[in-house]
Amino acid sequence: MKYIELAVGAILVYNFVLSRFLGICPFLGVSKRISTALGMSGAVITVMTLASAITSAISRYLLVLKFEGKVYDLRFLQVLLFILVIAALVQIIEISLQKLSPKLYQALGIYLPLITTNCAVLGAATINANVGRSVLDATLFGCFSGIGFALALVLFASLRERLDLAAPPRACAGIPLALVTAGILAMAFIGFSGLC
Amino acid sequence: MNKSSRSVMTFKNGIHPVYHGKELSESAETRVAPLLARYTVPLAQNAGKPPEVVVNPGDHVKKYQLIAKASGFVSANLHSPVSGTVKGLVDVPGPMGVPAKALEIVPDGLNEEMEPLPAIDWRTAEPKALLDRIAECGLVGMGGASFPTHVKLSPPPEKEIDTLILNGAECEPYLTADHRLMLEDPESVLAGAAVMGRILGIGDRVFIGVEMNKIDAIHRLNEKAEAYGVNIIPLKVQYPQGSEKQLINAITGREVPAGGLPMDAKCVVQNTGTAAAVADAVLRGRPLVERIVTVTGSVVKNPGNWKLLIGTPVIEAIKLAGGVTEEPGKLILGGPMMGFAQKSFEVPVSKNTSGILLLAQDQAVNYVSGNCIRCGRCVQGCPMHLMPCAIAAAVESYRFDLAKKHHVMDCLECGACAYVCPAKRPLVQHNRRAKAEIRRLTAKK
Amino acid sequence: MSTIVLVSVIVMGSLGLLLGLVIGFFAKIFKVETDSRVDLVAELLPGANCGGCGKAGCADFAKSVVSGENPPGKCPVSSAEQINAIAMALGIDAGGGFKKRAVVRCGGDIHQVARKINYNGVLDCASASLIAGGPKGCRYGCIGMGSCAAVCPFGAIELVNNLALVHPEICVGCGKCVSACPRGVIQLVPIESTVHVYCNSPEKGPEKRKNCKVSCLGCRKCEKTAPEKFKVEGFLAHVQYDAPVLPTEEDVEAVKCPTGALLTAARHKEIETNDPEFSVNE
Repeated sequence: MKYIELAVGAILVYNFVLSRFLGICPFLGVSKRISTALGMSGAVITVMTLASAITSAISRYLLVLKFEGKVYDLRFLQVLLFILVIAALVQIIEISLQKLSPKLYQALGIYLPLITTNCAVLGAATINANVGRSVLDATLFGCFSGIGFALALVLFASLRERLDLAAPPRACAGIPLALVTAGILAMAFIGFSGLC
Repeated sequence: MNKSSRSVMTFKNGIHPVYHGKELSESAETRVAPLLARYTVPLAQNAGKPPEVVVNPGDHVKKYQLIAKASGFVSANLHSPVSGTVKGLVDVPGPMGVPAKALEIVPDGLNEEMEPLPAIDWRTAEPKALLDRIAECGLVGMGGASFPTHVKLSPPPEKEIDTLILNGAECEPYLTADHRLMLEDPESVLAGAAVMGRILGIGDRVFIGVEMNKIDAIHRLNEKAEAYGVNIIPLKVQYPQGSEKQLINAITGREVPAGGLPMDAKCVVQNTGTAAAVADAVLRGRPLVERIVTVTGSVVKNPGNWKLLIGTPVIEAIKLAGGVTEEPGKLILGGPMMGFAQKSFEVPVSKNTSGILLLAQDQAVNYVSGNCIRCGRCVQGCPMHLMPCAIAAAVESYRFDLAKKHHVMDCLECGACAYVCPAKRPLVQHNRRAKAEIRRLTAKK
Repeated sequence: MSTIVLVSVIVMGSLGLLLGLVIGFFAKIFKVETDSRVDLVAELLPGANCGGCGKAGCADFAKSVVSGENPPGKCPVSSAEQINAIAMALGIDAGGGFKKRAVVRCGGDIHQVARKINYNGVLDCASASLIAGGPKGCRYGCIGMGSCAAVCPFGAIELVNNLALVHPEICVGCGKCVSACPRGVIQLVPIESTVHVYCNSPEKGPEKRKNCKVSCLGCRKCEKTAPEKFKVEGFLAHVQYDAPVLPTEEDVEAVKCPTGALLTAARHKEIETNDPEFSVNE
């Protein structure tokens, strides 16, 4: 039950993109095609899950050190450490993707290294640390949050593929219309509020 | 099957045009046209390769004499409609707006005819002999596509054919040529159907589908049908009932697979006019040189049906009908749904011209097309179950790949979508564009 | 106090070292050989992805340049300096003579060409040409609905009086318009050429004359005046673009084309843009 609640909360109610407004950059950047959106979603789910696991372990066991009877509170280093871990993870994914799927690597382009600064990833890590979740809970939360991000991204990409066929006024075409669409999509997700 | 207990057969979707315009000419008996001063017989009257000319300028030809010989399997012979002198090859306006080559023949008024070919007893003759006769007489599909009949009747051996359907639906508004033919010469139609059934080796599954608005023709055919072993099927009045894939669906309940041909549903579909021409060729030994054409429209003085010789300029046909009562707005060869608007009155009648339609100026309205309002009427109307609105949206943003995904290649160009569209969007034109573009792209590869 | 600093440094340092080692390990197993020269060339290319070189885009072209398949000069968009820079960087020959401009070989604007039918359909050249051969009387000339202008990535084509007009100073000769035109009116010509025959119809002279006032009648006047520069094939004159000397304004004056189909690009533009009512006959 607890995990269902965690899943519904992370995917629908507190969707990272549409409720918390984190990770907007890749949300707008790689949502032109469903295929690239799916690739990006996969990458983000991987990074978020791994990052949540590692960062929650760090924040639980490394940030408050007990050494020779003394307590060293290193929580001021939290953001610094998290970024370090995420950056390393992204680097690893980038290296392996370049080898394993050069096509996806090309399609994601600049947005792949930018996952490093995707605030959704850092946000998930920070929320985990603040709430004080166990490593298992945090990992699941990271995974669900990633799925929530993927859901929003793919939904939005499908909408944009349809919008591509429309002929809006020139001033609205492209990003302006995409932003309006994102707003309406976010409003739709308000419907889930209060679910858990 | 108990015929009285089941409702009239039809297919799914399609439209019901409000005004049929058939009353203008359906009761007018077919008349024979007088001889004109000159005929321009177009060379390319069949789908596939045009035939090769076998006469020289200055030659004297008799009526029914071969003037152009088929230049391959998918090609059809061409015969002189009159006796007279060949003037030579001339450029005439083609029905598609592109000039076409035609043989100009000036009749001498002597009306010399070739000896008719020996009649064949079709009940005992070899199918091959019947097929050769059909090819010799230059028969093509007279419904519109003008595909050589002998090609259609010789399906590849691996395809099993168990049904022959004759299209007497004549679902196009205004046209009554097939109606009059079935009414006035039912025996030819039935005999032609039986001959084709023998060629295909079909015993009892020979059908003639006739729309219910031609109830008199259904009665006339039924009187004789038994003797020829042909079944007459009344069909609901619905457009495009006469399209071969819809006809197959209505009569047999089968679906032709996407991108497939009628033979993939074990069927062959022929026009009733073609059947009558088959009877002419086999029983009377006469090649195809004339056909019944409906000359009609609200501005035509005496709309009616005429037996016109191939190569008659359209303007002469209109003169036969008494000319026009006012300046016409549009000239269409064929019916108003799928016919082709013409630039010139000099277009000659060819083997597939079923109608000459003159619309009044207030009928040829220039519509202003609006945006798609996503009402989905085109989807409801499409007999091929496509989504014309989605295809049009894809074409408008040059996404032909997307149009192909939406199966635009299965479009019949029947015009049902454009007819029902409340925003008057040029949906058929978009589909044609997409088809042309996709064909071009695949040809490039 | 100093201990917390020490602990922080140790924690951060060791973690950084660890992650660095992991990345290093991954970089080792997933090593990809890339040619840095491809990126270099791609950077020097304009990045318009117009496809004028025949490749899928600038990155694709860069690959073909590095592999020696295409000379850098094949890029129609880059300026001479840019191409030289690429050639210098790779130490290869720039390759030249590829510079082209598009020209619409039709002078039949709305005032010159008879409209034969009342066209009521999609305002797109390719769609219109499917209906009864197009709305204009001439079946070979510019339809004037701007399919070429729509595909031009550089906005070099303007529609004036229902006739497409290429602005030579903007056009880079990528050739997108050539494939977009259903009539094949647009031709790529050497950048130096200034004189063109503004007619594309191979029909007989009198036929053309019926439809268009500025068509080439095939009178051979130009061919007689300067046989090495003009050639009449069938009923249509062509400028010999591969001739050693290209025709100039003097040639046009010497020829005195009776219909005005032979013009300099500048004069053609002047006629179409400045004087919409202009007609050679009046």
